[in-house]
Amino acid sequence: MSRSRRKNWNVVDAASLARWLVLTVFLALTGLSYVYLTLQLYHLGERKKALENELASLRTQSDLAAGQIAALTSRVALERRVKEGYLQLVPISERNIVRLTLPEHRPDDERIQPVKNERAGK
Amino acid sequence: MKWTSRLRCVIVGLAFIALFSAFSFRLVYLQLVKHDEYAGLAAEKHVHKQIIRAQRGEILDANNEVLAHNVPVETIVADASHVNNAGAIVDLLGHELKLSPGELTDKLHSDRRYIVIKRDVAEAVAASLRDKLRAQNLRGIYFEHDAARIYPNGSMLCHVIGFSDFEHRGVDGAEASMEEYLRGQDGYRYVEHNRAGQEIVLYRGQERAARDGYQVHLTVDLHLQSIVEKEIDAAVREYSPRKATIILMRPQTGEVLAMATRPRFDLNKRSDARPEQMKNRAIADMMEPGSTFKIVAAAAVLNEHKLGLGSTVFCENGLWNFGGTALHDHRAFTDLSVKDILVKSSNIGAAKLALTVGEQKFYEYIRRFGFGERTGIELPGEIGGLLRSPQSWSKISITRLPMGHEIGVTPLQMTMAMSVIANGGKLVMPRIIKSISTADGKTISTLSPVVVRQVISPQTARQIGDALRGVVSDRGTAAAAAVPGFVIAGKTGTAQKVDPGGGYEKGKYVVSFSGYLPADRPEFVGLVVLDDAQTKPELNYGGLVAGPIFSRIAEQAARYLDLQPQLEIRKALPVRRVALSNASIH
Repeated sequence: MSRSRRKNWNVVDAASLARWLVLTVFLALTGLSYVYLTLQLYHLGERKKALENELASLRTQSDLAAGQIAALTSRVALERRVKEGYLQLVPISERNIVRLTLPEHRPDDERIQPVKNERAGK
Repeated sequence: MKWTSRLRCVIVGLAFIALFSAFSFRLVYLQLVKHDEYAGLAAEKHVHKQIIRAQRGEILDANNEVLAHNVPVETIVADASHVNNAGAIVDLLGHELKLSPGELTDKLHSDRRYIVIKRDVAEAVAASLRDKLRAQNLRGIYFEHDAARIYPNGSMLCHVIGFSDFEHRGVDGAEASMEEYLRGQDGYRYVEHNRAGQEIVLYRGQERAARDGYQVHLTVDLHLQSIVEKEIDAAVREYSPRKATIILMRPQTGEVLAMATRPRFDLNKRSDARPEQMKNRAIADMMEPGSTFKIVAAAAVLNEHKLGLGSTVFCENGLWNFGGTALHDHRAFTDLSVKDILVKSSNIGAAKLALTVGEQKFYEYIRRFGFGERTGIELPGEIGGLLRSPQSWSKISITRLPMGHEIGVTPLQMTMAMSVIANGGKLVMPRIIKSISTADGKTISTLSPVVVRQVISPQTARQIGDALRGVVSDRGTAAAAAVPGFVIAGKTGTAQKVDPGGGYEKGKYVVSFSGYLPADRPEFVGLVVLDDAQTKPELNYGGLVAGPIFSRIAEQAARYLDLQPQLEIRKALPVRRVALSNASIH
């Protein structure tokens, strides 16, 4: 009786089973990783494209702003604004221009001299 | 032969072997021999080369003020095979883009797959249009990024800056001559699209980034240009000349500081411009220079040591018959020194100076001053002027050339000749390009001054300079060109206009003044030329028309350049007084 029961048992080769299990799990994980990484690549590609678009849009905005600045600060535009009276610039009259003539420097005189301008404030 | 089962098996086996061998050979042929060809064809279906457009470089003045730059715009295109509701699209585009519905309908009813609807559409307009197309579910209209070239100063400096065409290729001015640097280099990227037409970034292939064009810096100072433009406009209002040109130049380096020409055109509306408005007359138009050319005869005779500055020449009491033709002076001069020939602008005196050096030598000096050849400025369309060789001169040519007749020169050549005097006898190549830099400001090239040749000795140049100071004095022909506080040197020119039908046009003159300031250490050389100025005949002289214009420009330029006045500040002589007191204007 005991002999026949012993005969019906299937011997499980634990080492072999473990080897196949590890191999299967490894292959499954590899497959899943491949799928995951591929999806990540797609996702990052989309993200890259979105960032590129955003960058291009920012560059467009920057170029538009630069264009507006150039147009508003161009010499012709500023002169037009002066003419229109938007910028109230009063030309300096000849009477108010004072030229300072520097006093002649004497080699023996090293003192610091105050600047004298008799016409100032008139 | 007996069909045994064995034989049948062998035959069937051989047939299979032959069949699969054929398949195998075909497979090897396709996979190895024809691989590249078919892979290429397959790639063409899915992969395409996307061009990454380089941005055209900016043009800036010497102080980095923007003269030409790019603004993002959209080009609106249609694919007629994708259009789903032509009527609605025509209505929408016609309204938004202000286009004629008839023209739009014709375009959309063609079978073309690439139809340009409108270029240079502003970003805001394009965004609004895109939203409306999407809202109404209209298909077949596409938007392409582009850039429009904008010139913030409109018509200022238009002939120098030039312009580019719709494909961003320089057509005129610095835009054309600096095309190689401004253009940049387009990049590319191989991309693959999915069925929805979206790019699959994962399969992006080889790519190369675009290199934007370099920035080109001109030698022109926009402040000086503005002074010149204001004065040339005032001159056009006052004298209504057919043409006018003003040039300011730094003699030591040949840098053009300002260059203005009338008529002119608006760079942003160049489609409205007429051809005569687009011509840069400073380099592409000739004139007979008149008496300003006398400096060449005087320089030749002094440099050859034939005469000294104080040597006297008999001026025939104002009328000299030479070669059977009478030569007149505007006054009856007797003996004039070489200096006074320039100061009083005697035609007979100048003719005798040229005769003293001889035809061949005089011709040689004319060439050495740069006449008869292009100056080499970095602008397209420059002409070399018109100078005949002595072999084809008439008997009287030697007496007419010294007074600036029988020769065609460009205003730039005349400015260069005056620069020779201001620059110690050196002829320096004129420059309009100062440097080239990358978009982030890193200079990659700076153009150095080029001395073409030593035309005359520094001593001769100094002697001529002394005489030219006399021209801008109460004794000379250009007292009205004086600048308060500065000693200036210069020469007037009044040349009768050449009649295209032969001879000269009566009562029509090209008046000019060319001078430099300060006379002893010149900071700039200037030339003012007005062609057919409308004024009283007794006032139509270089000293009275062009001289005061030069004076006003030079005074403002001296202030801007912060030049130290040398003389006690005094007012310039009023033009009217000069006109009455100075009968010897020429």
